[in-house]
Amino acid sequence: MNEINQRKVFDYISNKKIENFVGVPDSTLKHFIDQGLKNKKIIITTREEEAIGVATGMTLSNSPSLVFMQNAGFANSISTITSLVQLYEIPIIFLIGWRGYLSDDAPEHLKIGKIQPELLKIIELKSKIITDKNWKSGCDWALKQIKEEKSCALIIRRMFHD
Amino acid sequence: MIRKEAVAIIAGNIGKNPIVSANGFMSRDLFEANDKESNFYMIGSMGLASSIGLGIALKNPKKHIFIFDGDGNILMNLGSLVTIGSLKPKNLIHIVFDNNSHESTGGQPTNSSKINLEKIAKEAQYKIFKIESKTKLISVLKKIKKYQGPIFLLIKISTSKERSKRVSWEPKEIRDRVMKSLQ
Repeated sequence: MNEINQRKVFDYISNKKIENFVGVPDSTLKHFIDQGLKNKKIIITTREEEAIGVATGMTLSNSPSLVFMQNAGFANSISTITSLVQLYEIPIIFLIGWRGYLSDDAPEHLKIGKIQPELLKIIELKSKIITDKNWKSGCDWALKQIKEEKSCALIIRRMFHD
Repeated sequence: MIRKEAVAIIAGNIGKNPIVSANGFMSRDLFEANDKESNFYMIGSMGLASSIGLGIALKNPKKHIFIFDGDGNILMNLGSLVTIGSLKPKNLIHIVFDNNSHESTGGQPTNSSKINLEKIAKEAQYKIFKIESKTKLISVLKKIKKYQGPIFLLIKISTSKERSKRVSWEPKEIRDRVMKSLQ
């Protein structure tokens, strides 16, 4: 997703009363995160599970939250998602940058990137891929999910090399 | 002092302030000693009590938030000390009940006896207290409200054969009670 749209995604979600953005940086999401940093709304943690814990505490305080991470961090977090977010039904939006979507991405991303859609399916975390064209409807869908007290994930694919 | 005694003393001294308790025997002891609406009993997600407590502390600046952690739990999430120390929530009191063991899984040793957890917390900009007796615990509890957080209490406890019952609230009930108490 291009820079302008990533910034728009942040502004759009932020204007829809998502108050907290907690996570671990990912280059695929860097403009989204930068927009949040400019607005002083980002908390960066040491690991993704920690971010989920902080966002859970904030959500329990009746303050809606989004957690951002790379898909490698999502894989790290599966136990936390199942035994905290899903067990207690904590409505959190996950924003996940998908490395290894391109089959010629860096080698460390290939295996986990390949099984990313399966991982989401297996743990029954509903998700949508957002793009330059459909991001607004994807964001509206996610906002609706958490209003219904369900956690969900928005995925941004890594479509470039560096 | 065993964990349940320390848990009962602290919970009995802090009124309705929220407590986030770590998974395993910690949450069970708190449930049996002092069940209340604003207790978040963590039953999975080992290591994350400190992070959940941080999230609550940042959003509830007028309440004191207590984290009941174990040595095994905090050793799994030492990074949270860095995040807490950098955000400096004045209202966060992080208590580690240290028995140098993973008591909930059969008493296997942790490495907390070989390092100084309180020194790590101090370097992460917590105000620290090390406690080895009930008398000291009671005197520290009386004065901690005068200090600005984050505050770290390392309480040395002995292992025990006493077992508290499981938390009988369903996870979703725990969530709803806590959310209501924080409205």
